[in-house]
Amino acid sequence: MSWLVGALLELTALAGSLVVLSRDPRRQVYALCANGLVLALLFFALQAPDVALSEITIGTVVTPLLFFVALAAAAMNKARR
Amino acid sequence: MNTTARIVLLVIALVVLAPAAGMLILAMPAFGHPLSQYGDVVNALAPRLRNISNMVAAVNFDIRGIDTLGEECMLLAAVTGTVMLLRGHRGEDMSERAGRVPGRKQPSRSDATVLLCRFIATVLFLFGIYMVLHGTVTPGGGFQGGVIVASSFVLLYLGESYRAWRRIVLGPALAALEGTGALAYVLAAALPLLGGYAALQNVLPLGTWKDLFSGGLMVAVNYAVGCAVIGSFGVLLLEFMEETRAPENDPVPDEEDE
Repeated sequence: MSWLVGALLELTALAGSLVVLSRDPRRQVYALCANGLVLALLFFALQAPDVALSEITIGTVVTPLLFFVALAAAAMNKARR
Repeated sequence: MNTTARIVLLVIALVVLAPAAGMLILAMPAFGHPLSQYGDVVNALAPRLRNISNMVAAVNFDIRGIDTLGEECMLLAAVTGTVMLLRGHRGEDMSERAGRVPGRKQPSRSDATVLLCRFIATVLFLFGIYMVLHGTVTPGGGFQGGVIVASSFVLLYLGESYRAWRRIVLGPALAALEGTGALAYVLAAALPLLGGYAALQNVLPLGTWKDLFSGGLMVAVNYAVGCAVIGSFGVLLLEFMEETRAPENDPVPDEEDE
């Protein structure tokens, strides 16, 4: 099991770096989704299925959606002016 | 602040903080090494004292139930604050037209997307309800189940149009659900006080171990949290989504809504 946790930890570091390094806001949100998914897998591998469920819904559905809504609202406001 | 100043600040911070971080990392217990006896004690005591098989629920709703009451109130306050902030800027008019960004292409939904979203949203909704109901038996519980139900609303939006989504997801019902859940938790904490017990004291019959209704008062508190979380996340999604709808007096025709 430990190699799985190790691999997932490295994936987490990779996904987190991708969130920071992507400059386009929309791509950044997709990177955030991927990061949430990897984190959920990590929590699952560490035997915390309930935390994994929260992470998968909050981290990959609700938070990215709120960011997308904010980006869309900003774009619409900009076009209206 | 220019780049040179930033780099100087970074180097100073590194010189000061890196040795401290290094010492802390070396002093940490090994990965997976148990830190305290708390978990073992809960695992040993909760099944016998409370007939419950989900220890996380036992900690959240009974042993440290007052903490969860505080979190519940924080969630309620946070969602209320968000709603006030967004509506203060936007007003309360209920336009059903989705807004659009000029110049951005809007491909229509394929039948496969609509079918898949309808199917998965239904299954996800039921799974969320299942998760709330089995909160005291299997991993999960009111919060997890609640956010799963709320994420099925997102799939409904993806599969239907904004207009249909606004008809399906009812704001006042969600707000009522949120308030009822929070109130039920407060009552579960306050009613034992009237009988001369401590707040949140488990006065209900505990049921049988591994049974759906095991855990006494925890079952009620778990359902209350489930209702409050479905309500507050639903309201949150609805309020944010309304930020993207077209204003009432906007002359731009909408191509997506049929």
